[in-house]
Amino acid sequence: MSKYVYVTYIRTTPQKLWYALTKPEFQKQYWYGMHQDCDWKKGSSWAMKFTDGRTADAGEILEVDPPRRAVIKWRNEFRPELKAEGFSQCTYEIDPDGDICRLTVTHEIGVENAKLIDAVSGGWPRILSSLKTILEGGEALPRTHSTAA
Amino acid sequence: MAGSKFVYVVIIRSTPEKIWEALTKPEFTRQYWAGTTQKSDWKKGSSWAVYTPDGRLWDSGEILEVDYPRKLVLTWRKEPGKFPEMTAEGYSRLTYELTPDPLGIKLTLTHEMDVENSKLIGAVSQGWPSVLSSLKTFLETGTPLENSGKWPEGL
Repeated sequence: MSKYVYVTYIRTTPQKLWYALTKPEFQKQYWYGMHQDCDWKKGSSWAMKFTDGRTADAGEILEVDPPRRAVIKWRNEFRPELKAEGFSQCTYEIDPDGDICRLTVTHEIGVENAKLIDAVSGGWPRILSSLKTILEGGEALPRTHSTAA
Repeated sequence: MAGSKFVYVVIIRSTPEKIWEALTKPEFTRQYWAGTTQKSDWKKGSSWAVYTPDGRLWDSGEILEVDYPRKLVLTWRKEPGKFPEMTAEGYSRLTYELTPDPLGIKLTLTHEMDVENSKLIGAVSQGWPSVLSSLKTFLETGTPLENSGKWPEGL
């Protein structure tokens, strides 16, 4: 079992944070230009798309409770050694406190020393740092709005 | 090596010099770090201490390494008082590293200790995300997160 947890506190509302996490036009601003195809209903398919339309990651929505919680079944689709590890699970939890939200992202998989978790451990702090900057009124951090791959 | 470790990475739109200042100067730490003040001359071998807003000594240690404005390493022990089980664990080690990143300045914080399932590392793991989130907000917007400059009631 491998697990990565990142916690960040953002000056925003749960509704705005949920919107930023789930709407493609918002995702593109802080997720290296990528977006997610999904209707955010339980059992629906979920896919992360590169700017050129290729699928980066895919899976389905296991749980959804807007604007508080979502659980995504998540498999990498473009790096064979990561795809071979199978499905991981990514959980978003939003806890409001006054005019701040605590966002906890937990990404885990039932594989020891998983390469996927190692890879996302480098990505989440960058993506969530840029998301926080935008929601607090700034422009996206440089380069997170275009594909880095 | 067996032990406990907490690592947190945050990217900040700022300069290494400004982040360093915000991490070390009392007039800044008070605003986003629960009202606390750190006292040190920030030289290798010097003492280092954290004081609560009402002047109580809370944590202390020694500066192990200073490479302005890139790296700062210090030892950190919980002072005797409210949390004897943490004090008993002895000294932990805290490292701040500032590196240029395509997105901004990457601040990597590593807080570690040669004790399995350390209570001190468990406690700071809960605190660092909010302290560093407020630091980022403070440097990028000019104001820290709401209530982040207040000491928790009852502590």
